[in-house]
Amino acid sequence: MFCTAASAQMPSVDSPASAIGRTFTPPPPMPSAPYGLEQLDPSGPLFPGARIDGSDFGGTPAPVYVDGEMIAEQFSMETEVQGYRLEDFLTLAAQNNPTIRQARLQISAQTAKALQAGLYPNPTLNYIGEQIGVDVEGDKDSPGEFQGMTVTQRFVTAGKLKLSREKYMRRAHVSEHLAMAQQFRVCNDVRIHFFRALAAREIVELRKELLKTAEDSAVTARELYNQGQATRPQVRKSSIALQRARLDVLSAENHYRESFRRLVAIVGVDLTDGVVSGDLMPQGEPLSYQEAMSLVLTESPELAAARAKLAADRVTLSREQVEWVPDIVAEGGAGYNFEAKETTAAAGVSIELPVFDRNQGTIRQAQLDYRRQQEEIRRTELMLGQQMANVYQQYLTALQIATEYDRVIIPEARLAYQELLESYKANRVDWPTVLDAQMDYFDSRLTRVQHLEQVRTNEVLVRGYLLHGGLMAAPGPTPPGHIDAVAKPR
Amino acid sequence: MSNTEQRRGFLKAGSIAAATGFVSNLLGGNAAAQHPILNSPSPTLPDSPTLNSEYDGFSRFKPSRGLDPDSDYYIGKLVPGFRKASDGPAPFEAPDVPKMPYKMDGGVKVFELVPMAVEQEFHPGVKMNVYGYNGSMPGPTIEVTQGDRVRIIVTNELPEDTFMHWHGFELPVQYDGAATLTQNPIKPGKTKVFEFDIHEEGTFFYHSHVAMQEAFGQVGWFIVHPKKVFGPPVDRDFGLLFQNFHIPPTHTISDSWAMDWNWHTINGKSGPYTTPLVCKHGERVRVRLLNFSPMQHHPVHLHGHTFWVTGHEGARIPKSAWVPRNNELVGVAQASCFELIANNPGDWIFHCHMVHHMMNHMVKQVGPRIRDDASVDQYLANLSSRPQVDASRSAKFDVPGYPQKMQGMEMSSDFMKAIWSRKEVRGMRANYPMSVKGLMTVLRVLPDDLYDLVMNSDQDVEKGAVFAEIVRRFGDPSKYEAAPKMMM
Ligand SMILES: [Cu+2]
Repeated sequence: MFCTAASAQMPSVDSPASAIGRTFTPPPPMPSAPYGLEQLDPSGPLFPGARIDGSDFGGTPAPVYVDGEMIAEQFSMETEVQGYRLEDFLTLAAQNNPTIRQARLQISAQTAKALQAGLYPNPTLNYIGEQIGVDVEGDKDSPGEFQGMTVTQRFVTAGKLKLSREKYMRRAHVSEHLAMAQQFRVCNDVRIHFFRALAAREIVELRKELLKTAEDSAVTARELYNQGQATRPQVRKSSIALQRARLDVLSAENHYRESFRRLVAIVGVDLTDGVVSGDLMPQGEPLSYQEAMSLVLTESPELAAARAKLAADRVTLSREQVEWVPDIVAEGGAGYNFEAKETTAAAGVSIELPVFDRNQGTIRQAQLDYRRQQEEIRRTELMLGQQMANVYQQYLTALQIATEYDRVIIPEARLAYQELLESYKANRVDWPTVLDAQMDYFDSRLTRVQHLEQVRTNEVLVRGYLLHGGLMAAPGPTPPGHIDAVAKPR
Repeated sequence: MSNTEQRRGFLKAGSIAAATGFVSNLLGGNAAAQHPILNSPSPTLPDSPTLNSEYDGFSRFKPSRGLDPDSDYYIGKLVPGFRKASDGPAPFEAPDVPKMPYKMDGGVKVFELVPMAVEQEFHPGVKMNVYGYNGSMPGPTIEVTQGDRVRIIVTNELPEDTFMHWHGFELPVQYDGAATLTQNPIKPGKTKVFEFDIHEEGTFFYHSHVAMQEAFGQVGWFIVHPKKVFGPPVDRDFGLLFQNFHIPPTHTISDSWAMDWNWHTINGKSGPYTTPLVCKHGERVRVRLLNFSPMQHHPVHLHGHTFWVTGHEGARIPKSAWVPRNNELVGVAQASCFELIANNPGDWIFHCHMVHHMMNHMVKQVGPRIRDDASVDQYLANLSSRPQVDASRSAKFDVPGYPQKMQGMEMSSDFMKAIWSRKEVRGMRANYPMSVKGLMTVLRVLPDDLYDLVMNSDQDVEKGAVFAEIVRRFGDPSKYEAAPKMMM
C-alpha cells in the first residue's frame, strides 16, 4: 500500500519533465500569415519569416523634421488616389442601368396603346351581288337583281374612343410615376451600395491599423517575455490576437471587394476594381419622423402612381359606362339593278339594341376595380408607414450612435490615447497600457464607421421614399403580357 | 572683517580666481583639471587646543578607520566638529522645508499650525496635490529647546475633520491627539490649542492622526535641541524626511489607498530635485532621517563614509551602544541619527537601497523606448494612424532578461534649468541628474575654498568643474573622464 502510494507520486520514467520554465526557451514564434495576406498589401502588415530576423526590414523610418517641426506622415488614401465619387456612379447608372430604360419604354408602350385605342374604325367596302341567276324579263340567268358596291361605316357614339384614349393616356401617366419610382430605386441602390463600399473601404483602413496594434502587441509580449514579465501562454495569446487581426483585415478586404462589385452591378458597367471616395458623415440637419413621413406621403412616386391609377380607373369606369350606347353602323352604296335595268342605290342603318347586354357586368367590375384602387392607395400609405417605422428607427438609432461616437467617444478615446502616449514619453506608464488605449481608439472609429454605414443606407431610404431594388424589372401599370396587349385595346 | 568674510568677499569679486589659478580652471573650462597641479591647498585647523587632524590613527581629512575599535575615536566616533560646544546646538537644516516662526507669550513659544490642502512641486513643473501644513508639505519645522513650554494653535483649513498628534512626546493625555480616544476632532474651520512642557530632547514630528491624511503627506519635523549640548559637537545638523506616494500616470492626486508607491520624496522633492547636503571637508555632520512612508521601510545607504547611529527618535543612544554602519534600516515612523566625520571629499550619493525606491514611477521597459529607430514623437505626430512596428529583434534580445536598465527618461530643458538653478549643485558632474532619482540625494563634502565657491560666491561654475577639481586634489586625475555634457 505504502509503496503504491509512494510510487504514484514519483515522476514517471516514460514522461520526462517538461522543459518549460526550467531552462530558457525562446518565445514562441510569430504565426505565419494566412492565405491571401501577401497579395493584399506587401508594404503593409507584418509578414513573419520575412521580417522576424530583421534581415530585410528597414525599420520604421525616422521622423522628418522641417524647421524643427515634425512632418506628419500621410496615411489618408484620399490624398493619394482620387477615387470614384457618388456623382460619378449616379451618372453612370442613369446611362447604363437597364431598368431605367425599361421603365421609360413602359411609358411609350402605354402611349402607343392610347394611340391605338383612340383610332376611329375604318369604313368597310362591300361588293354586293344579290339574287344572281334570277330570271328576268329577256334574260334567263341574269347577273342578278343587284350588283354593286356599298360602304359601311361604324359611327362611334358617346365619345368611346376619346374615353379609351384618355384611359390609356392616364395609364401612361401611371407609368411615368412608376418610371420615377424606378429611377429612385436605382439611384437609392447606387447610393446605398456606394456608402456600403465607402464604409467597407474605411473599415479596411481601420482593420489595418488594428492589425498594426496587434503586431505591436505580439512584439511587446515577446519583449515582456524576455524580461520575465510575460508567460509563454500570454505570448501565445498575443499570437492568437495577431492572427485574428490578420483575418479581420482579410475579411474586410473581401467585403470591400464584394461591396464594390455589387455597386458596379447596379450601375450597369464593367469596372473590375476601383476606389470609392467620399464622406460618410451626413451633411445637414437630421430628419424628424414627421418630416420623413410627410415627405413620403406627399412625394412618394409609388403613391403618386397609385393615385394616377385611380384616375385611370375612373376613366375606365366612364368608358365602360358608355360601352352599351349603341354605335350606329350605316351602309350605303350604288349598283345596277339588272331587273330594272337601271342604276340603284342601297342604304342601311343598323343599331344594336341594348336589351339584354347593357354592359352592366363590366361596369360593375370597373366600379369595383375603382373602389379597390381607392383601398390600394390607403394600403400603399400604410405599407409605406410600416416600412418607414422600421427604416426610421434604424436611421435614428444609427445616427444617434454615430453622432455620439463622433462628438464624444472618439475624441475621448483619442485624448486618452494621446495622454497615455505623452505619459509613456514621460516614463510614467507602460507600453501595454498605451496599446490598449490605441486599440480602443481605432476600435471606436471602426464602430463609428459601421454605424455611419447604417445611417447613410437608411437615410437614403428615408429621403428616397423607401425605394430600393434597382435591378428588379421595372413594373408597368398592369402586369406584362396582360390581355390588354391585344390589337384594339378599349 | 574676519578672515572667512574677507575670503568670501574675494570670491564674490572673483579676484581670488586670478590669484590662485584653480578657480579660473573651474570657470574657463576644465581641460587643465586633467593635469595634476602640485601643492593643492592643504586643510588648515582653526587655532584650538582640542582640535587635531588625527586621533588614534583616524584622520578627519582622509578616509581612515583609526587603530583600535575600542578607541573613542574609532571611525571618528567622538571626533569633535569645528564648532565649539559652548556655541550651542548646530542649526537644524532640512533642505526645502521652511521653519515655523513663533511668538513669545510670557514664557511660552506660540506656534500657529494650519492643516490644509497643498500643491507640492515634486519635480520642476510637477505639482502634486497633497495635504500639508501652512502651505508646505512636509509641514514647516518646529524647532525648540528642551525645557521650553509650547503653545500650538491649530486651525483646520481642511474641508474635513483632523487630529493633531505630537509624535514621541510624553505630554498630558488630553493633548495627544489620538483620534477620539483622547479628544474630539478639530472640525473644518475650527481651532484647537495645545499647550505642554517639553522635557525631552531629540527628533520628533507632528502629524495628522487620520490614517489617510498621514499617507497624503501630513507630517512635519518637531526638533528639540538638548538644553545641555551633547558632545562631541557637530557642525551640521541635517534633516531628511522620506515619504512615498502613489500618483497614477497623467494625474496629480495621490492615491492614499494604494499598496504600491511610485513617487518618493525627500523633504517634499523627488530625486534629482532633492537638494544636496553640502558640508566642508573635515566637519562633523549629523543627519536625522525620518521615514514617514505609509508602508515602506527604507534601508538607507551613504557612500564613501562609515557613520555612527547615535540616536533614534526616542532618545540619544548612550555612546557605548552606538553602531557604525554603511546602511541603516529605517522603519515606518522611525527616525535615526547618523553622525560622521566628512573626511572623504566628493559628491556622495545618499539613498534608499530598495531598488523600487531608487526611481520614480517605475514602468516596464518595453515598447518604442527599447526599439531601434522608434520614438514616441512619431506616434504623437499622427494619432490617426500609427507607425508600423519594427518586429526585427536585434541580437541584444538573445540575452534573456534584456533590457534591465531603465531607458528613456525624459528631461526637458526647463527641467534641467530648474535642477541646475540651485547653488547646492554647482560644479557637480553634468550627468548627475541621470543618476539621482526617487529616494536619493547627495552629500557633498567640499574643501573650504570649493565650499565657498559653491555656496557663497556668485560666479558661474562650469558643470563638473568642482568635481574635477576634487579628483585633481584627492584622486587620480589622469584616469578621470569628464561627463559628456550633451544637453545637460
Ligand atoms: Cu526605500
